[in-house]
Amino acid sequence: MQRDPVCEQGWHASLDLRFERREAATILAQRDHRGPLRVQKALYPEGVAVCHAIVLHPPSGIAGGDRLEIAVTAGDGAHALLTTPGAAKWYRSAGPWAMQSLDFEAGAGAALEWLPQEAIVFDGGRAAMRSAIRLAAQARYLGWEVVCLGRRAANERFANGELRFTTRIEQAGKLLWIEQGRLPGGSPLLASPVGLAGFSVFGTLLAAGGRIAPALLAACREIVPREPLAQRGLTVLPRLLVARYLGHSSEAARDWFVGLWHLLRPALLGREARLPRIWST
Amino acid sequence: MSDATRALARLLQLASPALPVGAFSYSQGLEWAVEAGTVSDEPSARVWIGDCLEFNLGRFEAPLLSRLLEAWQGEDAPAVATWNELYLAGREAAELRAETVQMGHSMLRLLRELGDFPPQILAGLALVHEPCFPAVWSAAAAAWRIPHEDAITAYLWAWLENQTIAALKVVPLGQSAGQRIVLELGARVPALAQRALTLGPEAWSNLAPGFGIACSRHETQYSRLFRS
Repeated sequence: MQRDPVCEQGWHASLDLRFERREAATILAQRDHRGPLRVQKALYPEGVAVCHAIVLHPPSGIAGGDRLEIAVTAGDGAHALLTTPGAAKWYRSAGPWAMQSLDFEAGAGAALEWLPQEAIVFDGGRAAMRSAIRLAAQARYLGWEVVCLGRRAANERFANGELRFTTRIEQAGKLLWIEQGRLPGGSPLLASPVGLAGFSVFGTLLAAGGRIAPALLAACREIVPREPLAQRGLTVLPRLLVARYLGHSSEAARDWFVGLWHLLRPALLGREARLPRIWST
Repeated sequence: MSDATRALARLLQLASPALPVGAFSYSQGLEWAVEAGTVSDEPSARVWIGDCLEFNLGRFEAPLLSRLLEAWQGEDAPAVATWNELYLAGREAAELRAETVQMGHSMLRLLRELGDFPPQILAGLALVHEPCFPAVWSAAAAAWRIPHEDAITAYLWAWLENQTIAALKVVPLGQSAGQRIVLELGARVPALAQRALTLGPEAWSNLAPGFGIACSRHETQYSRLFRS
Protein backbone atom coordinates (compact mmCIF):
# COMPACT_ATOMS: atom_id res chain seq x y z
CA MET A 1 0.00 0.00 0.00
CA GLN A 2 1.31 3.38 -0.91
CA ARG A 3 1.71 5.81 1.96
CA ASP A 4 1.40 9.52 1.89
CA PRO A 5 5.01 10.73 1.50
CA VAL A 6 4.25 14.09 3.06
CA CYS A 7 2.96 12.70 6.34
CA GLU A 8 5.14 9.61 6.59
CA GLN A 9 7.91 11.26 8.57
CA GLY A 10 5.59 12.93 11.05
CA TRP A 11 4.01 11.76 14.27
CA HIS A 12 0.37 10.90 14.19
CA ALA A 13 -0.88 11.33 17.69
CA SER A 14 -4.39 11.25 19.01
CA LEU A 15 -6.02 11.56 22.37
CA ASP A 16 -9.63 10.71 23.15
CA LEU A 17 -10.98 11.74 26.51
CA ARG A 18 -14.44 11.23 27.90
CA PHE A 19 -15.53 12.82 31.15
CA GLU A 20 -18.72 11.69 32.87
CA ARG A 21 -20.75 12.87 35.79
CA ARG A 22 -21.11 10.32 38.61
CA GLU A 23 -23.28 11.73 41.39
CA ALA A 24 -21.45 14.88 42.49
CA ALA A 25 -18.21 13.97 40.76
CA THR A 26 -16.76 14.23 37.27
CA ILE A 27 -14.70 11.20 36.38
CA LEU A 28 -12.33 10.59 33.49
CA ALA A 29 -14.27 7.63 32.14
CA GLN A 30 -12.26 7.01 29.01
CA ARG A 31 -8.74 7.86 27.99
CA ASP A 32 -7.38 6.47 24.74
CA HIS A 33 -4.22 7.62 23.10
CA ARG A 34 -2.12 6.84 20.13
CA GLY A 35 1.37 8.24 19.64
CA PRO A 36 2.89 10.95 21.81
CA LEU A 37 -0.15 12.59 23.38
CA ARG A 38 -1.04 11.79 26.97
CA VAL A 39 -3.05 12.62 30.02
CA GLN A 40 -1.31 11.05 33.01
CA LYS A 41 -4.14 11.22 35.49
CA ALA A 42 -7.30 12.93 36.51
CA LEU A 43 -6.66 15.73 39.01
CA TYR A 44 -9.08 17.20 41.54
CA PRO A 45 -7.52 20.40 42.92
CA GLU A 46 -10.93 21.99 43.57
CA GLY A 47 -12.90 18.97 44.76
CA VAL A 48 -14.62 16.10 42.97
CA ALA A 49 -17.02 18.17 40.86
CA VAL A 50 -14.41 19.39 38.38
CA CYS A 51 -11.90 17.08 36.79
CA HIS A 52 -8.66 18.71 35.64
CA ALA A 53 -6.47 17.12 33.00
CA ILE A 54 -3.08 18.19 31.74
CA VAL A 55 -2.56 17.34 28.09
CA LEU A 56 1.04 16.34 27.55
CA HIS A 57 2.86 16.23 24.27
CA PRO A 58 6.26 14.83 25.26
CA PRO A 59 8.11 15.76 22.04
CA SER A 60 7.36 19.36 23.14
CA GLY A 61 7.52 20.63 19.57
CA ILE A 62 5.34 20.05 16.54
CA ALA A 63 7.21 19.43 13.31
CA GLY A 64 6.11 19.47 9.68
CA GLY A 65 4.11 16.29 8.98
CA ASP A 66 2.94 15.88 12.58
CA ARG A 67 -0.75 15.45 13.15
CA LEU A 68 -2.27 15.93 16.60
CA GLU A 69 -5.91 15.10 17.18
CA ILE A 70 -7.50 15.79 20.52
CA ALA A 71 -11.11 14.82 21.07
CA VAL A 72 -12.77 15.60 24.38
CA THR A 73 -16.32 14.84 25.41
CA ALA A 74 -17.90 16.07 28.62
CA GLY A 75 -21.05 14.02 29.17
CA ASP A 76 -24.25 15.46 30.63
CA GLY A 77 -23.53 17.42 33.80
CA ALA A 78 -19.75 16.80 33.75
CA HIS A 79 -17.24 19.63 34.26
CA ALA A 80 -13.74 19.25 32.85
CA LEU A 81 -10.82 21.66 32.69
CA LEU A 82 -7.95 21.02 30.31
CA THR A 83 -4.65 22.76 30.17
CA THR A 84 -1.14 22.23 28.83
CA PRO A 85 2.17 22.33 30.72
CA GLY A 86 4.06 24.60 28.34
CA ALA A 87 4.00 26.53 25.10
CA ALA A 88 3.33 24.53 21.96
CA LYS A 89 6.21 25.11 19.56
CA TRP A 90 5.49 24.74 15.89
CA TYR A 91 8.84 24.26 14.20
CA ARG A 92 10.06 25.44 10.84
CA SER A 93 8.99 22.98 8.18
CA ALA A 94 10.81 21.82 5.09
CA GLY A 95 7.45 21.59 3.35
CA PRO A 96 4.83 19.41 5.04
CA TRP A 97 2.07 20.90 7.12
CA ALA A 98 1.71 20.24 10.82
CA MET A 99 -1.86 19.93 12.02
CA GLN A 100 -3.68 20.17 15.29
CA SER A 101 -7.31 19.32 15.45
CA LEU A 102 -9.45 19.89 18.54
CA ASP A 103 -12.91 18.36 18.74
CA PHE A 104 -14.76 19.31 21.88
CA GLU A 105 -18.23 18.20 22.77
CA ALA A 106 -20.26 19.04 25.86
CA GLY A 107 -23.59 17.47 26.80
CA ALA A 108 -26.57 18.96 28.61
CA GLY A 109 -25.48 20.92 31.66
CA ALA A 110 -21.82 20.10 31.03
CA ALA A 111 -18.93 22.55 31.15
CA LEU A 112 -15.66 22.37 29.28
CA GLU A 113 -12.70 24.68 29.85
CA TRP A 114 -9.71 24.79 27.52
CA LEU A 115 -6.93 26.90 29.00
CA PRO A 116 -3.76 26.08 27.07
CA GLN A 117 -0.47 27.91 27.16
CA GLU A 118 0.45 29.79 24.03
CA ALA A 119 1.30 28.40 20.60
CA ILE A 120 4.52 29.71 19.07
CA VAL A 121 4.78 29.32 15.32
CA PHE A 122 8.42 29.56 14.30
CA ASP A 123 9.38 31.44 11.19
CA GLY A 124 8.98 28.93 8.35
CA GLY A 125 6.45 26.84 10.26
CA ARG A 126 3.40 25.55 8.40
CA ALA A 127 0.74 25.20 11.04
CA ALA A 128 -2.91 24.28 10.60
CA MET A 129 -4.96 24.73 13.77
CA ARG A 130 -8.55 23.63 13.70
CA SER A 131 -11.03 23.76 16.59
CA ALA A 132 -14.61 22.54 16.52
CA ILE A 133 -16.75 22.92 19.61
CA ARG A 134 -20.21 21.40 19.80
CA LEU A 135 -22.43 22.20 22.73
CA ALA A 136 -25.76 20.81 23.82
CA ALA A 137 -28.49 23.29 24.68
CA GLN A 138 -27.49 23.74 28.31
CA ALA A 139 -23.72 23.28 27.93
CA ARG A 140 -21.03 25.90 28.36
CA TYR A 141 -17.54 26.34 26.98
CA LEU A 142 -14.79 28.66 28.08
CA GLY A 143 -11.54 28.60 26.19
CA TRP A 144 -8.77 30.67 24.72
CA GLU A 145 -5.97 30.52 22.19
CA VAL A 146 -2.86 32.68 22.24
CA VAL A 147 -0.75 32.51 19.09
CA CYS A 148 2.70 34.03 18.77
CA LEU A 149 4.04 34.34 15.24
CA GLY A 150 7.82 34.06 15.20
CA ARG A 151 10.06 33.66 18.24
CA ARG A 152 9.80 37.14 19.63
CA ALA A 153 12.56 36.55 22.19
CA ALA A 154 14.99 35.76 19.38
CA ASN A 155 13.75 38.83 17.47
CA GLU A 156 12.42 36.52 14.79
CA ARG A 157 9.75 37.72 12.38
CA PHE A 158 7.19 35.47 10.76
CA ALA A 159 8.45 35.98 7.22
CA ASN A 160 8.00 32.48 5.79
CA GLY A 161 5.62 29.59 6.31
CA GLU A 162 1.91 29.89 6.97
CA LEU A 163 -0.68 29.67 9.70
CA ARG A 164 -4.14 28.37 8.87
CA PHE A 165 -6.69 28.84 11.54
CA THR A 166 -10.30 27.73 11.91
CA THR A 167 -12.55 27.91 14.96
CA ARG A 168 -16.21 27.09 15.01
CA ILE A 169 -18.69 26.79 17.84
CA GLU A 170 -22.18 25.44 17.55
CA GLN A 171 -24.84 24.95 20.15
CA ALA A 172 -27.83 22.69 19.70
CA GLY A 173 -27.07 22.58 15.98
CA LYS A 174 -26.94 26.36 15.58
CA LEU A 175 -23.68 27.99 14.55
CA LEU A 176 -22.60 30.60 17.10
CA TRP A 177 -19.14 31.46 15.84
CA ILE A 178 -16.91 30.93 12.85
CA GLU A 179 -13.50 32.39 12.35
CA GLN A 180 -11.12 31.16 9.75
CA GLY A 181 -8.13 32.57 8.02
CA ARG A 182 -4.78 32.13 6.43
CA LEU A 183 -1.71 34.03 7.46
CA PRO A 184 1.22 33.41 5.15
CA GLY A 185 4.60 34.57 6.47
CA GLY A 186 5.19 38.17 5.48
CA SER A 187 1.51 38.59 4.54
CA PRO A 188 0.28 42.21 4.36
CA LEU A 189 -2.42 41.13 6.84
CA LEU A 190 0.30 40.90 9.53
CA ALA A 191 1.07 44.61 9.20
CA SER A 192 -2.43 45.81 8.33
CA PRO A 193 -4.34 47.79 10.97
CA VAL A 194 -7.38 45.56 10.34
CA GLY A 195 -5.20 42.45 10.70
CA LEU A 196 -2.45 41.99 13.28
CA ALA A 197 -1.45 45.67 13.10
CA GLY A 198 2.24 44.77 13.26
CA PHE A 199 1.86 42.77 16.48
CA SER A 200 3.32 39.28 16.84
CA VAL A 201 0.78 37.92 19.33
CA PHE A 202 -2.93 37.53 18.86
CA GLY A 203 -5.31 35.89 21.25
CA THR A 204 -9.00 35.09 21.40
CA LEU A 205 -11.04 34.07 24.41
CA LEU A 206 -14.47 32.62 23.77
CA ALA A 207 -17.09 31.98 26.45
CA ALA A 208 -20.07 30.22 24.93
CA GLY A 209 -23.40 28.82 25.93
CA GLY A 210 -24.42 31.12 28.77
CA ARG A 211 -26.08 34.49 29.03
CA ILE A 212 -23.66 37.38 29.53
CA ALA A 213 -25.24 40.14 31.61
CA PRO A 214 -24.35 43.73 30.63
CA ALA A 215 -22.81 44.27 34.09
CA LEU A 216 -20.48 41.31 33.56
CA LEU A 217 -19.37 42.69 30.18
CA ALA A 218 -18.79 46.09 31.78
CA ALA A 219 -16.71 44.50 34.57
CA CYS A 220 -14.64 42.59 32.02
CA ARG A 221 -13.97 45.85 30.18
CA GLU A 222 -12.43 47.30 33.34
CA ILE A 223 -9.58 44.78 33.21
CA VAL A 224 -6.59 46.42 31.58
CA PRO A 225 -3.72 44.39 30.09
CA ARG A 226 -0.30 45.08 31.58
CA GLU A 227 1.23 45.57 28.12
CA PRO A 228 0.64 49.28 27.56
CA LEU A 229 0.48 49.30 23.76
CA ALA A 230 -1.61 46.18 23.41
CA GLN A 231 -5.02 46.44 21.77
CA ARG A 232 -7.98 44.58 23.10
CA GLY A 233 -11.71 44.41 22.59
CA LEU A 234 -14.69 42.68 24.15
CA THR A 235 -18.08 42.06 22.65
CA VAL A 236 -21.15 39.94 23.30
CA LEU A 237 -22.94 38.01 20.57
CA PRO A 238 -25.88 35.63 21.04
CA ARG A 239 -24.78 33.14 23.73
CA LEU A 240 -21.14 34.13 23.27
CA LEU A 241 -18.58 36.52 24.71
CA VAL A 242 -15.56 37.29 22.54
CA ALA A 243 -12.36 38.85 23.88
CA ARG A 244 -9.51 39.69 21.54
CA TYR A 245 -5.95 40.66 22.20
CA LEU A 246 -3.19 42.03 20.00
CA GLY A 247 0.25 42.68 21.43
CA HIS A 248 3.83 41.48 21.61
CA SER A 249 3.70 39.52 24.86
CA SER A 250 2.14 36.07 25.13
CA GLU A 251 2.37 36.31 28.92
CA ALA A 252 0.49 39.60 28.99
CA ALA A 253 -2.20 38.15 26.70
CA ARG A 254 -2.56 35.11 28.94
CA ASP A 255 -2.64 37.23 32.10
CA TRP A 256 -5.41 39.35 30.61
CA PHE A 257 -7.40 36.23 29.72
CA VAL A 258 -6.83 34.86 33.23
CA GLY A 259 -8.16 38.14 34.62
CA LEU A 260 -11.29 37.79 32.49
CA TRP A 261 -11.60 34.14 33.47
CA HIS A 262 -11.71 35.18 37.14
CA LEU A 263 -14.88 37.14 36.35
CA LEU A 264 -16.40 34.81 33.78
CA ARG A 265 -15.95 31.49 35.57
CA PRO A 266 -18.05 32.29 38.64
CA ALA A 267 -20.73 33.93 36.47
CA LEU A 268 -20.99 31.22 33.83
CA LEU A 269 -19.83 28.06 35.58
CA GLY A 270 -20.69 28.89 39.19
CA ARG A 271 -17.19 28.25 40.50
CA GLU A 272 -14.39 30.47 41.71
CA ALA A 273 -11.37 30.65 39.42
CA ARG A 274 -8.13 29.30 40.80
CA LEU A 275 -5.23 28.81 38.47
CA PRO A 276 -4.13 25.24 37.79
CA ARG A 277 -0.89 24.62 39.73
CA ILE A 278 0.97 23.65 36.59
CA TRP A 279 0.79 27.30 35.57
CA SER A 280 3.02 28.42 38.42
CA THR A 281 5.76 25.83 37.91
CA MET B 1 -34.39 48.01 -23.98
CA SER B 2 -32.37 44.78 -23.92
CA ASP B 3 -32.47 42.39 -20.96
CA ALA B 4 -28.89 43.36 -20.13
CA THR B 5 -29.74 47.05 -20.02
CA ARG B 6 -32.81 46.35 -17.88
CA ALA B 7 -30.64 44.33 -15.47
CA LEU B 8 -28.12 47.19 -15.33
CA ALA B 9 -30.85 49.68 -14.40
CA ARG B 10 -32.03 47.38 -11.62
CA LEU B 11 -28.46 46.90 -10.41
CA LEU B 12 -27.92 50.67 -10.20
CA GLN B 13 -31.03 50.83 -8.04
CA LEU B 14 -29.68 48.06 -5.76
CA ALA B 15 -26.25 49.67 -5.42
CA SER B 16 -27.56 53.19 -4.83
CA PRO B 17 -26.98 54.93 -1.49
CA ALA B 18 -30.68 55.88 -1.80
CA LEU B 19 -31.65 52.25 -1.15
CA PRO B 20 -33.66 52.73 2.06
CA VAL B 21 -31.85 50.23 4.31
CA GLY B 22 -29.97 52.63 6.56
CA ALA B 23 -26.43 51.80 5.37
CA PHE B 24 -25.42 55.42 5.90
CA SER B 25 -25.70 55.06 9.68
CA TYR B 26 -22.91 52.46 9.97
CA SER B 27 -19.13 52.90 9.86
CA GLN B 28 -18.08 49.29 10.67
CA GLY B 29 -15.33 50.21 13.10
CA LEU B 30 -13.99 53.11 11.03
CA GLU B 31 -15.25 55.64 13.56
CA TRP B 32 -13.24 53.89 16.30
CA ALA B 33 -10.18 53.70 14.02
CA VAL B 34 -10.38 57.51 13.76
CA GLU B 35 -10.85 57.87 17.52
CA ALA B 36 -7.81 55.62 18.13
CA GLY B 37 -5.69 57.65 15.68
CA THR B 38 -5.23 54.72 13.29
CA VAL B 39 -7.06 56.68 10.61
CA SER B 40 -6.26 60.38 10.48
CA ASP B 41 -5.95 61.46 6.85
CA GLU B 42 -6.55 60.39 3.27
CA PRO B 43 -3.69 57.83 3.02
CA SER B 44 -4.57 56.12 6.32
CA ALA B 45 -8.28 56.09 5.42
CA ARG B 46 -7.41 54.46 2.11
CA VAL B 47 -5.33 51.80 3.90
CA TRP B 48 -8.09 51.00 6.42
CA ILE B 49 -10.91 50.83 3.87
CA GLY B 50 -8.74 49.05 1.29
CA ASP B 51 -7.60 46.43 3.81
CA CYS B 52 -11.17 45.79 5.00
CA LEU B 53 -12.13 45.37 1.35
CA GLU B 54 -9.23 43.06 0.60
CA PHE B 55 -9.00 40.96 3.77
CA ASN B 56 -12.57 40.81 4.97
CA LEU B 57 -15.15 41.68 2.31
CA GLY B 58 -13.14 40.17 -0.53
CA ARG B 59 -12.38 36.89 1.21
CA PHE B 60 -15.53 36.25 3.18
CA GLU B 61 -18.54 38.39 2.36
CA ALA B 62 -18.05 38.45 -1.42
CA PRO B 63 -17.60 34.67 -1.92
CA LEU B 64 -20.49 34.09 0.49
CA LEU B 65 -22.62 36.49 -1.56
CA SER B 66 -21.71 34.45 -4.62
CA ARG B 67 -23.04 31.28 -2.91
CA LEU B 68 -26.21 33.12 -1.93
CA LEU B 69 -26.78 34.21 -5.52
CA GLU B 70 -26.36 30.61 -6.66
CA ALA B 71 -28.71 29.37 -3.98
CA TRP B 72 -31.43 31.87 -5.02
CA GLN B 73 -30.92 31.00 -8.65
CA GLY B 74 -31.44 27.34 -7.78
CA GLU B 75 -34.47 28.23 -5.60
CA ASP B 76 -32.69 26.48 -2.75
CA ALA B 77 -33.99 28.22 0.39
CA PRO B 78 -32.32 25.71 2.79
CA ALA B 79 -28.94 26.61 1.23
CA VAL B 80 -29.74 30.30 1.69
CA ALA B 81 -30.49 29.60 5.35
CA THR B 82 -27.15 27.78 5.76
CA TRP B 83 -25.12 30.62 4.22
CA ASN B 84 -27.13 33.12 6.24
CA GLU B 85 -26.26 31.31 9.47
CA LEU B 86 -22.59 31.18 8.49
CA TYR B 87 -22.52 34.89 7.72
CA LEU B 88 -24.10 35.81 11.05
CA ALA B 89 -21.69 33.55 12.96
CA GLY B 90 -18.81 35.28 11.18
CA ARG B 91 -19.92 38.77 12.30
CA GLU B 92 -17.37 39.26 15.02
CA ALA B 93 -18.87 42.07 17.10
CA ALA B 94 -22.33 42.91 18.42
CA GLU B 95 -22.80 46.06 16.34
CA LEU B 96 -21.72 44.34 13.11
CA ARG B 97 -24.28 41.63 13.71
CA ALA B 98 -27.02 44.07 14.66
CA GLU B 99 -26.23 46.13 11.54
CA THR B 100 -26.67 43.31 9.05
CA VAL B 101 -29.83 42.04 10.76
CA GLN B 102 -31.37 45.54 10.72
CA MET B 103 -30.41 46.14 7.09
CA GLY B 104 -31.69 42.70 6.10
CA HIS B 105 -34.97 43.44 7.85
CA SER B 106 -35.33 46.82 6.10
CA MET B 107 -34.46 45.33 2.73
CA LEU B 108 -37.01 42.56 3.19
CA ARG B 109 -39.72 45.07 4.09
CA LEU B 110 -38.81 47.04 0.98
CA LEU B 111 -39.08 43.96 -1.28
CA ARG B 112 -42.52 43.19 0.17
CA GLU B 113 -43.63 46.74 -0.53
CA LEU B 114 -42.41 46.75 -4.13
CA GLY B 115 -45.58 45.00 -5.20
CA ASP B 116 -44.47 42.80 -8.08
CA PHE B 117 -41.62 41.00 -6.38
CA PRO B 118 -41.61 37.21 -7.10
CA PRO B 119 -43.72 35.55 -4.35
CA GLN B 120 -41.65 32.35 -4.36
CA ILE B 121 -38.56 34.33 -3.34
CA LEU B 122 -40.47 36.12 -0.58
CA ALA B 123 -41.70 32.70 0.57
CA GLY B 124 -38.07 31.46 0.57
CA LEU B 125 -36.98 34.46 2.64
CA ALA B 126 -39.73 33.76 5.15
CA LEU B 127 -37.95 30.45 5.90
CA VAL B 128 -34.69 32.18 6.82
CA HIS B 129 -34.25 33.04 10.48
CA GLU B 130 -32.78 36.54 10.99
CA PRO B 131 -32.01 37.18 7.32
CA CYS B 132 -28.78 39.13 6.99
CA PHE B 133 -28.37 41.95 4.48
CA PRO B 134 -26.45 39.90 1.86
CA ALA B 135 -29.14 37.18 1.99
CA VAL B 136 -31.95 39.62 1.16
CA TRP B 137 -29.92 41.78 -1.22
CA SER B 138 -28.91 38.67 -3.21
CA ALA B 139 -32.59 37.65 -3.40
CA ALA B 140 -33.34 40.89 -5.23
CA ALA B 141 -30.30 40.55 -7.49
CA ALA B 142 -31.32 36.99 -8.39
CA ALA B 143 -34.98 37.92 -8.98
CA TRP B 144 -33.89 40.69 -11.33
CA ARG B 145 -31.56 38.33 -13.23
CA ILE B 146 -28.41 40.30 -12.64
CA PRO B 147 -25.26 38.42 -13.65
CA HIS B 148 -23.50 37.26 -10.48
CA GLU B 149 -20.17 38.90 -11.18
CA ASP B 150 -21.90 42.23 -11.82
CA ALA B 151 -23.94 41.84 -8.63
CA ILE B 152 -20.85 41.17 -6.49
CA THR B 153 -18.99 44.06 -8.14
CA ALA B 154 -21.86 46.43 -7.38
CA TYR B 155 -22.25 45.13 -3.80
CA LEU B 156 -18.55 45.72 -3.05
CA TRP B 157 -18.63 49.10 -4.76
CA ALA B 158 -21.66 50.20 -2.72
CA TRP B 159 -19.87 49.12 0.46
CA LEU B 160 -16.76 51.04 -0.61
CA GLU B 161 -18.74 54.18 -1.34
CA ASN B 162 -20.55 53.94 1.99
CA GLN B 163 -17.27 53.55 3.91
CA THR B 164 -15.80 56.50 2.04
CA ILE B 165 -18.78 58.70 2.90
CA ALA B 166 -18.30 57.67 6.56
CA ALA B 167 -14.62 58.68 6.28
CA LEU B 168 -15.60 62.08 4.84
CA LYS B 169 -17.69 62.72 7.94
CA VAL B 170 -15.45 61.40 10.72
CA VAL B 171 -11.84 61.92 9.61
CA PRO B 172 -12.94 64.38 8.07
CA LEU B 173 -11.92 64.41 4.41
CA GLY B 174 -12.81 66.63 1.47
CA GLN B 175 -15.04 65.49 -1.38
CA SER B 176 -12.14 65.15 -3.83
CA ALA B 177 -10.17 63.02 -1.38
CA GLY B 178 -13.22 60.77 -1.11
CA GLN B 179 -13.48 60.48 -4.89
CA ARG B 180 -9.78 59.59 -5.13
CA ILE B 181 -10.32 56.78 -2.59
CA VAL B 182 -13.34 55.42 -4.49
CA LEU B 183 -11.43 55.63 -7.76
CA GLU B 184 -8.31 53.88 -6.47
CA LEU B 185 -9.96 51.19 -4.37
CA GLY B 186 -12.76 50.78 -6.89
CA ALA B 187 -10.12 49.59 -9.34
CA ARG B 188 -9.54 46.55 -7.10
CA VAL B 189 -13.20 45.56 -6.96
CA PRO B 190 -13.55 43.68 -10.28
CA ALA B 191 -10.71 41.26 -9.47
CA LEU B 192 -12.15 40.59 -6.01
CA ALA B 193 -15.60 39.98 -7.49
CA GLN B 194 -14.23 37.63 -10.09
CA ARG B 195 -12.30 35.61 -7.52
CA ALA B 196 -15.36 35.46 -5.26
CA LEU B 197 -17.18 33.42 -7.91
CA THR B 198 -14.86 30.46 -7.51
CA LEU B 199 -13.27 30.77 -4.06
CA GLY B 200 -14.27 27.66 -2.07
CA PRO B 201 -15.47 27.97 1.54
CA GLU B 202 -12.30 26.30 2.87
CA ALA B 203 -10.29 29.24 1.48
CA TRP B 204 -12.55 31.97 2.88
CA SER B 205 -11.03 34.20 5.50
CA ASN B 206 -12.61 36.55 8.01
CA LEU B 207 -9.58 36.62 10.29
CA ALA B 208 -9.08 40.34 10.96
CA PRO B 209 -8.41 40.91 14.67
CA GLY B 210 -7.68 44.63 14.32
CA PHE B 211 -11.04 45.11 12.60
CA GLY B 212 -12.80 43.01 15.26
CA ILE B 213 -11.23 45.03 18.05
CA ALA B 214 -12.20 48.35 16.40
CA CYS B 215 -15.81 47.19 16.03
CA SER B 216 -15.89 46.06 19.68
CA ARG B 217 -14.34 49.25 21.00
CA HIS B 218 -16.85 51.33 19.08
CA GLU B 219 -19.57 49.95 21.40
CA THR B 220 -18.27 52.10 24.25
CA GLN B 221 -16.96 55.06 22.25
CA TYR B 222 -18.06 58.18 24.08
CA SER B 223 -18.97 60.47 21.23
CA ARG B 224 -20.18 58.90 18.02
CA LEU B 225 -22.11 59.58 14.85
CA PHE B 226 -22.49 56.00 13.66
CA ARG B 227 -24.21 52.88 14.92
CA SER B 228 -21.22 50.61 14.21
